[in-house]
Amino acid sequence: MTDDLEPLRRSRPDRLLPDDPPDPEILVREKARLMSAITGPHGAVEHRRSPSIYPRLAYRDEVAALEFLTRAFGLVERRESRMEHPAGMLAWLEIGDGMVMIGRAGEERHGLHSPLETGAPTAMVNVYVHDIDTHYRRAESEGAQIVMPLEDMFWGDRRYEALDLEGHRWHFAERASEIRAGPPTQ
Amino acid sequence: MEESDGAVIAGSLETPGAFGIIFDRHGSTLLRFLARRVNPADAEDLLGEVFRIAFERRSTFERDRDSARPWLYGIAANVVAKHHQSEARRLRAMARVSAGRPLDDDPAERAVAAADAGALWARVMAAFRTLPEAERQVLLLFAWEELSYDEIALALGVPVGTVRSRLSRGRARLAALTRGRDTTTDVPLTPCDAGGER
Repeated sequence: MTDDLEPLRRSRPDRLLPDDPPDPEILVREKARLMSAITGPHGAVEHRRSPSIYPRLAYRDEVAALEFLTRAFGLVERRESRMEHPAGMLAWLEIGDGMVMIGRAGEERHGLHSPLETGAPTAMVNVYVHDIDTHYRRAESEGAQIVMPLEDMFWGDRRYEALDLEGHRWHFAERASEIRAGPPTQ
Repeated sequence: MEESDGAVIAGSLETPGAFGIIFDRHGSTLLRFLARRVNPADAEDLLGEVFRIAFERRSTFERDRDSARPWLYGIAANVVAKHHQSEARRLRAMARVSAGRPLDDDPAERAVAAADAGALWARVMAAFRTLPEAERQVLLLFAWEELSYDEIALALGVPVGTVRSRLSRGRARLAALTRGRDTTTDVPLTPCDAGGER
Protein backbone atom coordinates (compact mmCIF):
# COMPACT_ATOMS: atom_id res chain seq x y z
CA MET A 1 0.00 0.00 0.00
CA THR A 2 1.30 3.43 -0.82
CA ASP A 3 1.16 6.29 1.57
CA ASP A 4 -1.72 8.53 0.60
CA LEU A 5 0.26 11.60 1.66
CA GLU A 6 3.03 10.86 -0.79
CA PRO A 7 1.62 13.04 -3.60
CA LEU A 8 1.34 15.95 -1.18
CA ARG A 9 4.81 15.33 0.21
CA ARG A 10 6.24 15.36 -3.27
CA SER A 11 4.33 18.48 -4.21
CA ARG A 12 6.49 20.51 -1.88
CA PRO A 13 7.60 23.43 -4.04
CA ASP A 14 11.30 22.88 -3.50
CA ARG A 15 10.95 19.22 -4.41
CA LEU A 16 9.03 20.03 -7.58
CA LEU A 17 11.54 22.68 -8.52
CA PRO A 18 14.73 21.60 -6.83
CA ASP A 19 17.04 24.52 -6.90
CA ASP A 20 19.32 26.38 -4.67
CA PRO A 21 17.87 27.64 -1.40
CA PRO A 22 16.56 31.17 -1.00
CA ASP A 23 18.98 34.04 -1.37
CA PRO A 24 21.15 34.13 1.79
CA GLU A 25 21.18 37.89 1.46
CA ILE A 26 17.55 37.89 2.62
CA LEU A 27 18.61 36.35 5.92
CA VAL A 28 21.44 38.80 6.44
CA ARG A 29 19.08 41.69 5.71
CA GLU A 30 16.29 40.42 7.94
CA LYS A 31 18.67 39.70 10.79
CA ALA A 32 20.02 43.25 10.55
CA ARG A 33 16.43 44.60 10.64
CA LEU A 34 15.53 42.44 13.59
CA MET A 35 18.60 43.47 15.54
CA SER A 36 18.02 47.15 14.91
CA ALA A 37 14.39 46.74 16.01
CA ILE A 38 15.56 44.97 19.18
CA THR A 39 18.53 47.03 20.22
CA GLY A 40 17.81 50.34 18.49
CA PRO A 41 19.81 51.96 15.73
CA HIS A 42 22.98 52.02 17.80
CA GLY A 43 23.10 48.28 18.19
CA ALA A 44 22.27 47.69 14.55
CA VAL A 45 24.33 45.08 12.81
CA GLU A 46 26.04 46.30 9.72
CA HIS A 47 24.36 44.88 6.70
CA ARG A 48 27.01 43.94 4.20
CA ARG A 49 26.13 42.97 0.72
CA SER A 50 27.70 39.92 -0.79
CA PRO A 51 30.63 40.70 -3.07
CA SER A 52 29.86 40.66 -6.78
CA ILE A 53 31.96 37.57 -7.26
CA TYR A 54 32.62 34.72 -4.89
CA PRO A 55 33.47 31.06 -5.39
CA ARG A 56 31.56 28.02 -4.25
CA LEU A 57 33.75 25.19 -2.97
CA ALA A 58 32.55 21.61 -2.78
CA TYR A 59 33.37 19.18 -0.01
CA ARG A 60 32.48 15.60 0.75
CA ASP A 61 32.03 16.64 4.36
CA GLU A 62 30.96 20.26 4.30
CA VAL A 63 30.31 20.34 8.04
CA ALA A 64 33.88 19.31 8.83
CA ALA A 65 35.08 21.82 6.23
CA LEU A 66 33.19 24.64 7.91
CA GLU A 67 34.74 23.75 11.23
CA PHE A 68 38.22 23.54 9.73
CA LEU A 69 38.06 26.76 7.72
CA THR A 70 36.95 28.78 10.73
CA ARG A 71 39.44 27.16 13.09
CA ALA A 72 42.52 26.99 10.89
CA PHE A 73 42.09 29.84 8.41
CA GLY A 74 40.07 32.28 10.50
CA LEU A 75 37.09 32.54 8.16
CA VAL A 76 33.91 33.75 9.83
CA GLU A 77 30.56 32.23 9.02
CA ARG A 78 27.51 34.36 8.28
CA ARG A 79 25.74 32.22 10.78
CA GLU A 80 22.26 33.51 10.01
CA SER A 81 22.57 32.37 6.41
CA ARG A 82 23.37 28.74 7.05
CA MET A 83 21.02 26.37 5.25
CA GLU A 84 20.70 22.93 6.75
CA HIS A 85 19.19 20.27 4.61
CA PRO A 86 19.25 16.48 4.70
CA ALA A 87 21.01 16.64 1.33
CA GLY A 88 23.78 18.84 2.66
CA MET A 89 24.51 22.11 4.35
CA LEU A 90 25.29 25.39 2.64
CA ALA A 91 27.31 28.04 4.42
CA TRP A 92 28.76 31.43 3.55
CA LEU A 93 32.11 32.37 5.06
CA GLU A 94 33.69 35.79 5.14
CA ILE A 95 37.20 37.06 5.58
CA GLY A 96 37.89 40.78 5.20
CA ASP A 97 35.54 41.98 2.48
CA GLY A 98 35.58 38.67 0.63
CA MET A 99 33.40 35.62 0.82
CA VAL A 100 33.29 31.95 -0.14
CA MET A 101 30.32 29.63 -0.21
CA ILE A 102 30.71 25.99 0.70
CA GLY A 103 28.43 23.06 0.01
CA ARG A 104 28.43 19.33 -0.54
CA ALA A 105 30.14 17.83 -3.56
CA GLY A 106 28.17 15.83 -6.08
CA GLU A 107 26.96 15.52 -9.64
CA GLU A 108 23.57 16.88 -8.63
CA ARG A 109 25.24 19.73 -6.74
CA HIS A 110 26.07 21.78 -9.81
CA GLY A 111 28.52 19.06 -10.85
CA LEU A 112 31.08 20.31 -8.36
CA HIS A 113 33.60 17.93 -6.88
CA SER A 114 35.99 17.82 -4.01
CA PRO A 115 39.71 17.46 -4.77
CA LEU A 116 39.39 14.20 -2.84
CA GLU A 117 37.39 12.94 -5.83
CA THR A 118 39.18 14.66 -8.69
CA GLY A 119 42.66 14.01 -7.31
CA ALA A 120 43.71 17.65 -7.63
CA PRO A 121 42.35 21.11 -7.03
CA THR A 122 41.39 23.06 -10.14
CA ALA A 123 41.39 26.51 -8.62
CA MET A 124 43.08 28.47 -5.88
CA VAL A 125 41.43 30.91 -3.52
CA ASN A 126 43.50 34.04 -2.94
CA VAL A 127 43.04 35.82 0.36
CA TYR A 128 44.64 38.95 1.78
CA VAL A 129 44.86 38.96 5.57
CA HIS A 130 46.30 41.15 8.30
CA ASP A 131 49.29 39.79 10.21
CA ILE A 132 50.24 36.95 7.92
CA ASP A 133 52.78 35.53 10.37
CA THR A 134 50.17 34.86 13.02
CA HIS A 135 47.80 33.53 10.37
CA TYR A 136 50.48 31.13 9.15
CA ARG A 137 51.30 29.81 12.61
CA ARG A 138 47.65 29.24 13.36
CA ALA A 139 46.99 27.39 10.10
CA GLU A 140 50.02 25.21 10.56
CA SER A 141 49.27 24.32 14.17
CA GLU A 142 45.62 23.58 13.33
CA GLY A 143 46.57 21.01 10.75
CA ALA A 144 46.54 22.78 7.40
CA GLN A 145 48.95 21.22 4.93
CA ILE A 146 51.47 23.91 4.02
CA VAL A 147 52.46 23.52 0.37
CA MET A 148 54.44 26.76 -0.11
CA PRO A 149 56.28 28.18 2.86
CA LEU A 150 55.75 31.67 4.22
CA GLU A 151 58.12 33.98 2.38
CA ASP A 152 58.61 37.49 1.03
CA MET A 153 57.99 37.72 -2.67
CA PHE A 154 59.80 40.02 -5.05
CA TRP A 155 56.61 42.04 -5.71
CA GLY A 156 56.36 42.84 -2.03
CA ASP A 157 53.71 40.47 -0.69
CA ARG A 158 54.49 38.05 2.08
CA ARG A 159 52.62 34.84 1.42
CA TYR A 160 52.15 31.10 1.89
CA GLU A 161 49.95 28.44 0.34
CA ALA A 162 48.09 25.66 2.10
CA LEU A 163 45.64 22.87 1.40
CA ASP A 164 42.51 22.49 3.46
CA LEU A 165 41.29 19.17 4.76
CA GLU A 166 39.96 18.01 1.38
CA GLY A 167 42.75 19.49 -0.71
CA HIS A 168 41.36 22.81 -1.91
CA ARG A 169 44.28 25.17 -2.36
CA TRP A 170 44.41 28.51 -0.56
CA HIS A 171 46.88 31.35 -1.01
CA PHE A 172 47.21 33.71 1.95
CA ALA A 173 49.16 36.94 1.71
CA GLU A 174 49.69 40.28 3.31
CA ARG A 175 50.46 43.32 1.18
CA ALA A 176 53.88 44.85 1.63
CA SER A 177 52.33 48.30 2.14
CA GLU A 178 50.31 47.00 5.08
CA ILE A 179 53.27 45.25 6.63
CA ARG A 180 55.19 48.54 6.53
CA ALA A 181 52.25 50.49 7.94
CA GLY A 182 51.89 48.18 10.94
CA PRO A 183 48.70 46.69 12.38
CA PRO A 184 45.32 48.19 11.39
CA THR A 185 44.18 50.95 13.71
CA GLN A 186 40.53 50.01 14.28
CA MET B 1 27.62 22.09 24.74
CA GLU B 2 25.46 24.74 23.08
CA GLU B 3 22.93 26.57 25.20
CA SER B 4 19.35 25.41 24.62
CA ASP B 5 16.94 27.76 22.89
CA GLY B 6 15.05 27.99 26.17
CA ALA B 7 18.15 29.28 27.95
CA VAL B 8 18.98 31.71 25.15
CA ILE B 9 15.46 33.14 25.14
CA ALA B 10 15.43 33.41 28.94
CA GLY B 11 18.73 35.28 28.70
CA SER B 12 17.27 37.61 26.07
CA LEU B 13 14.80 38.95 28.64
CA GLU B 14 17.81 40.61 30.32
CA THR B 15 19.94 41.07 27.21
CA PRO B 16 17.59 41.51 24.23
CA GLY B 17 20.41 41.29 21.69
CA ALA B 18 20.88 37.61 22.57
CA PHE B 19 17.66 36.92 20.67
CA GLY B 20 19.74 37.20 17.50
CA ILE B 21 21.03 33.70 18.26
CA ILE B 22 17.50 32.37 17.81
CA PHE B 23 17.41 33.97 14.36
CA ASP B 24 20.80 32.45 13.52
CA ARG B 25 19.59 29.00 14.49
CA HIS B 26 16.16 28.99 12.87
CA GLY B 27 15.91 31.89 10.43
CA SER B 28 16.80 29.89 7.33
CA THR B 29 14.40 27.05 8.23
CA LEU B 30 11.56 29.51 8.72
CA LEU B 31 12.40 31.35 5.53
CA ARG B 32 12.19 28.12 3.58
CA PHE B 33 8.89 27.25 5.25
CA LEU B 34 7.48 30.64 4.29
CA ALA B 35 8.83 30.43 0.75
CA ARG B 36 6.95 27.14 0.32
CA ARG B 37 3.74 28.55 1.65
CA VAL B 38 3.40 32.04 0.22
CA ASN B 39 4.50 33.92 -2.84
CA PRO B 40 8.30 33.95 -2.62
CA ALA B 41 8.28 37.73 -2.93
CA ASP B 42 6.27 37.93 0.31
CA ALA B 43 8.37 35.43 2.24
CA GLU B 44 11.00 37.93 3.29
CA ASP B 45 8.48 40.36 4.79
CA LEU B 46 6.73 37.56 6.61
CA LEU B 47 10.03 36.30 7.99
CA GLY B 48 10.59 39.69 9.60
CA GLU B 49 7.06 39.62 10.98
CA VAL B 50 7.53 36.15 12.48
CA PHE B 51 10.67 37.12 14.36
CA ARG B 52 9.30 40.45 15.54
CA ILE B 53 6.26 38.66 16.98
CA ALA B 54 8.48 35.97 18.50
CA PHE B 55 10.66 38.62 20.12
CA GLU B 56 7.67 40.42 21.61
CA ARG B 57 6.26 37.18 22.98
CA ARG B 58 9.52 35.70 24.18
CA SER B 59 8.53 35.92 27.85
CA THR B 60 5.83 33.32 27.17
CA PHE B 61 8.34 30.77 25.85
CA GLU B 62 8.91 28.00 28.37
CA ARG B 63 12.54 28.11 29.30
CA ASP B 64 12.99 24.37 29.78
CA ARG B 65 12.29 23.71 26.12
CA ASP B 66 15.29 22.75 24.03
CA SER B 67 14.11 23.97 20.67
CA ALA B 68 12.16 27.07 19.71
CA ARG B 69 11.49 25.66 16.26
CA PRO B 70 7.94 24.33 16.81
CA TRP B 71 7.00 27.59 18.53
CA LEU B 72 8.37 29.61 15.61
CA TYR B 73 6.53 27.35 13.16
CA GLY B 74 3.32 28.08 15.07
CA ILE B 75 3.84 31.83 14.79
CA ALA B 76 4.70 31.45 11.12
CA ALA B 77 1.61 29.30 10.45
CA ASN B 78 -0.55 32.09 11.90
CA VAL B 79 1.23 34.70 9.84
CA VAL B 80 0.65 32.60 6.70
CA ALA B 81 -3.02 32.23 7.59
CA LYS B 82 -3.31 36.02 7.63
CA HIS B 83 -1.91 36.13 4.12
CA HIS B 84 -4.11 33.50 2.53
CA GLN B 85 -4.32 35.37 -0.76
CA SER B 86 -0.60 35.05 -1.14
CA GLU B 87 -0.87 31.40 -0.15
CA ALA B 88 -3.59 30.77 -2.71
CA ARG B 89 -1.44 32.34 -5.42
CA ARG B 90 1.44 30.11 -4.42
CA LEU B 91 -0.70 26.96 -4.56
CA ARG B 92 -2.12 27.89 -7.97
CA ALA B 93 1.35 28.49 -9.30
CA MET B 94 2.53 25.13 -7.96
CA ALA B 95 -0.48 23.38 -9.47
CA ARG B 96 0.52 24.81 -12.84
CA VAL B 97 4.11 23.68 -12.42
CA SER B 98 3.14 20.22 -11.24
CA ALA B 99 0.62 19.70 -14.04
CA GLY B 100 3.34 19.92 -16.63
CA ARG B 101 5.82 17.88 -14.72
CA PRO B 102 7.04 14.61 -16.19
CA LEU B 103 6.95 11.55 -14.00
CA ASP B 104 9.86 10.44 -11.95
CA ASP B 105 10.86 6.86 -12.03
CA ASP B 106 8.75 6.05 -9.05
CA PRO B 107 7.10 2.69 -8.48
CA ALA B 108 4.03 4.28 -6.92
CA GLU B 109 3.55 6.36 -10.02
CA ARG B 110 4.28 3.70 -12.56
CA ALA B 111 1.06 2.16 -11.42
CA VAL B 112 -0.74 5.27 -12.54
CA ALA B 113 -1.30 5.62 -16.25
CA ALA B 114 1.22 8.15 -17.49
CA ALA B 115 -1.43 10.38 -18.97
CA ASP B 116 -3.21 10.65 -15.64
CA ALA B 117 -0.18 11.34 -13.57
CA GLY B 118 0.41 14.96 -14.51
CA ALA B 119 -3.22 15.61 -13.79
CA LEU B 120 -2.84 13.87 -10.44
CA TRP B 121 -0.30 16.43 -9.28
CA ALA B 122 -2.57 19.25 -10.28
CA ARG B 123 -5.52 17.58 -8.58
CA VAL B 124 -3.58 17.22 -5.34
CA MET B 125 -2.74 20.91 -5.28
CA ALA B 126 -6.22 21.95 -6.30
CA ALA B 127 -7.83 19.64 -3.75
CA PHE B 128 -5.50 20.89 -1.11
CA ARG B 129 -6.67 24.46 -1.61
CA THR B 130 -10.22 23.49 -0.72
CA LEU B 131 -9.34 21.96 2.66
CA PRO B 132 -10.19 23.89 5.81
CA GLU B 133 -7.36 26.04 7.10
CA ALA B 134 -6.85 23.97 10.28
CA GLU B 135 -6.42 20.74 8.34
CA ARG B 136 -4.16 22.36 5.78
CA GLN B 137 -1.83 23.64 8.49
CA VAL B 138 -1.53 20.24 10.13
CA LEU B 139 -1.06 18.37 6.86
CA LEU B 140 1.70 20.67 5.70
CA LEU B 141 3.56 20.80 9.01
CA PHE B 142 3.50 17.02 8.88
CA ALA B 143 4.14 16.28 5.20
CA TRP B 144 6.33 19.20 4.18
CA GLU B 145 8.06 20.27 7.37
CA GLU B 146 8.29 16.75 8.82
CA LEU B 147 7.36 17.83 12.33
CA SER B 148 6.24 15.14 14.78
CA TYR B 149 2.71 15.06 16.23
CA ASP B 150 4.07 16.51 19.47
CA GLU B 151 5.83 19.33 17.67
CA ILE B 152 2.73 20.18 15.65
CA ALA B 153 0.69 20.23 18.86
CA LEU B 154 3.21 22.63 20.38
CA ALA B 155 3.28 24.79 17.28
CA LEU B 156 -0.47 25.16 16.97
CA GLY B 157 -1.23 25.13 20.69
CA VAL B 158 -3.68 22.24 20.44
CA PRO B 159 -3.69 18.80 22.11
CA VAL B 160 -1.93 15.94 20.33
CA GLY B 161 -5.27 14.20 19.94
CA THR B 162 -6.52 17.14 17.91
CA VAL B 163 -3.45 16.94 15.70
CA ARG B 164 -4.16 13.26 15.06
CA SER B 165 -7.80 13.79 14.24
CA ARG B 166 -7.15 16.79 11.97
CA LEU B 167 -4.45 14.86 10.20
CA SER B 168 -6.59 11.81 9.57
CA ARG B 169 -9.57 13.92 8.50
CA GLY B 170 -7.42 16.01 6.20
CA ARG B 171 -5.80 12.93 4.80
CA ALA B 172 -9.10 11.22 4.06
CA ARG B 173 -10.53 14.34 2.50
CA LEU B 174 -7.45 14.91 0.40
CA ALA B 175 -7.47 11.31 -0.82
CA ALA B 176 -11.16 11.56 -1.73
CA LEU B 177 -10.74 14.90 -3.45
CA THR B 178 -7.76 13.69 -5.38
CA ARG B 179 -9.73 10.75 -6.67
CA GLY B 180 -12.30 13.22 -7.87
CA ARG B 181 -15.08 12.50 -5.40
CA ASP B 182 -15.70 13.95 -2.01
CA THR B 183 -16.81 10.96 0.02
CA THR B 184 -17.79 13.15 2.93
CA THR B 185 -20.75 14.34 0.88
CA ASP B 186 -20.60 11.75 -1.87
CA VAL B 187 -21.12 14.42 -4.46
CA PRO B 188 -18.84 14.41 -7.48
CA LEU B 189 -16.61 17.41 -7.44
CA THR B 190 -16.80 19.93 -10.18
CA PRO B 191 -13.67 19.79 -12.32
CA CYS B 192 -12.76 23.01 -10.49
CA ASP B 193 -9.78 24.99 -11.60
CA ALA B 194 -7.12 22.34 -11.57
CA GLY B 195 -5.35 24.13 -14.38
CA GLY B 196 -4.74 27.14 -12.19
CA GLU B 197 -5.61 30.74 -12.79
CA ARG B 198 -5.83 32.00 -16.32
